[in-house]
Amino acid sequence: MKHLAGLALLLAGVITLPAGAGFAFDPPAGTSPTQLIARGAGGGSRGGGGSRGGGGGSRGGSGSRGGGGNFRSGGGGAGGGGRANTGFSSSGSGLSRGSSRPSGGWSNQVRQPGANPSLNRPSGNAVAGNRNLDNNRNINRDVNRDVNRNVNVNRDINRNVNRNANVNVNWNRRVNINNVNVNAGWARAGWGVARPWNYGWYGGWNTPTWGWWGARAATWGIATLATASIINNAVNSAISANQTTILVPNSNYQLIFASVVPTSSSVVSFAVTTDGGTYQLNADCNAGLLDGRQPQSASEAELLNAACQVAFGNA
Amino acid sequence: MKVAAPMFLKTPFLISGALASCALALLAAPAPTRAEVLYKLTTTCSLMGADPQACTVEAEDFDRVTLYRHRIGAITKTVRVTDTPLKMELYDADSKQWKQLQSASARFSANTVCFNGRDLCVVNPNYLNSVKEGRPELMAGRDLVRVHFDSNGRTNASCYDDGCDLVLK
Repeated sequence: MKHLAGLALLLAGVITLPAGAGFAFDPPAGTSPTQLIARGAGGGSRGGGGSRGGGGGSRGGSGSRGGGGNFRSGGGGAGGGGRANTGFSSSGSGLSRGSSRPSGGWSNQVRQPGANPSLNRPSGNAVAGNRNLDNNRNINRDVNRDVNRNVNVNRDINRNVNRNANVNVNWNRRVNINNVNVNAGWARAGWGVARPWNYGWYGGWNTPTWGWWGARAATWGIATLATASIINNAVNSAISANQTTILVPNSNYQLIFASVVPTSSSVVSFAVTTDGGTYQLNADCNAGLLDGRQPQSASEAELLNAACQVAFGNA
Repeated sequence: MKVAAPMFLKTPFLISGALASCALALLAAPAPTRAEVLYKLTTTCSLMGADPQACTVEAEDFDRVTLYRHRIGAITKTVRVTDTPLKMELYDADSKQWKQLQSASARFSANTVCFNGRDLCVVNPNYLNSVKEGRPELMAGRDLVRVHFDSNGRTNASCYDDGCDLVLK
């Protein structure tokens, strides 16, 4: 009888062991799983994973995992006093596990040919995919010319914007700027390759798929929309200057470029600021529609073009 | 008057008690660590500074550790990363052990991460997107990030952009 009781206790003890971890994952060939776990958990300073924030595997959002906020909680929480600003709250290692899902999702393929691993700055510029500097010189001249010509155009744009706000329900979809994601992981240096969705097919005005373009363009008095290079450079400059918006060429619209999120292979959602308000819109880059209708002005066409270039254009 | 229970009656009680103990123990046991494949990325790698080659990266997440398996032809290089404190290790197939990395670098504009100098470099925008989004203030405007580890695998130097020329050799 004693033997049986002993066996039962032994069995119970075996089951109580935190054994799951040992069988949790597939190690590289020849490594025991426990070896992996033992080292992986090393340091013992994670406090049971509490630093992940939110628990329950809530991975999305702007991960709180790698945050320097961990430093703030030191001191054992003595007596409800305010926290001192130590100046070290955002210090620590620049890299992290990289396992928090970014808001744009994960990519499964780096599509851009020639995107080779290198620690060197991509040639001639801070951002991958830029054209050469000669092109930039030309581009700048174009920008200036456009700006001067737009002195007249802008007056029209303002009139149109106000009128559209009354007519078009979608332009009334005003949002709080604080609720717009301006920190998407891909919206950074190297954004052309970093976009985790399909890109590269958008031809912009060079190869228009928009049947409305020719006729409308004549009435608006403009021959072309901004080129991909102009928009790419605007994004690059904004990133370098830690700005979250680009001024859409020939318009009063400020596109919050990090808010660009494709909702299908050709439709993109984005936020734009104008006249002190921020609006959530969408653009069908294939059909050339802004919030489901043809652009009502040159500036709206520029906005559509800019959002589509950021989302789907070569960069 | 006490009547001793016959032995054949006691045995089932003991067995059922043991089973109950087992069931309770099972309920009390911590949930097993779960593996989650975050992504499989078809991309480009280079080894020891050699020419770029096609490769795949499989990122697999566990409770406390993330594994990055880089498959370059017949070669597999697995990097294991933990947070707080940040640690990075490379699996050495010969010794069948994890070895602390000495350094890791990232160039955002090239979407590249390198381990131990240029021993293993990979175009992995997913990793960098996650890093950037996890600490937006710290990473805003950064392009080059470099981390150096001491012999215990803890970060003993971290630098950004031009600062890396000053701090690290």
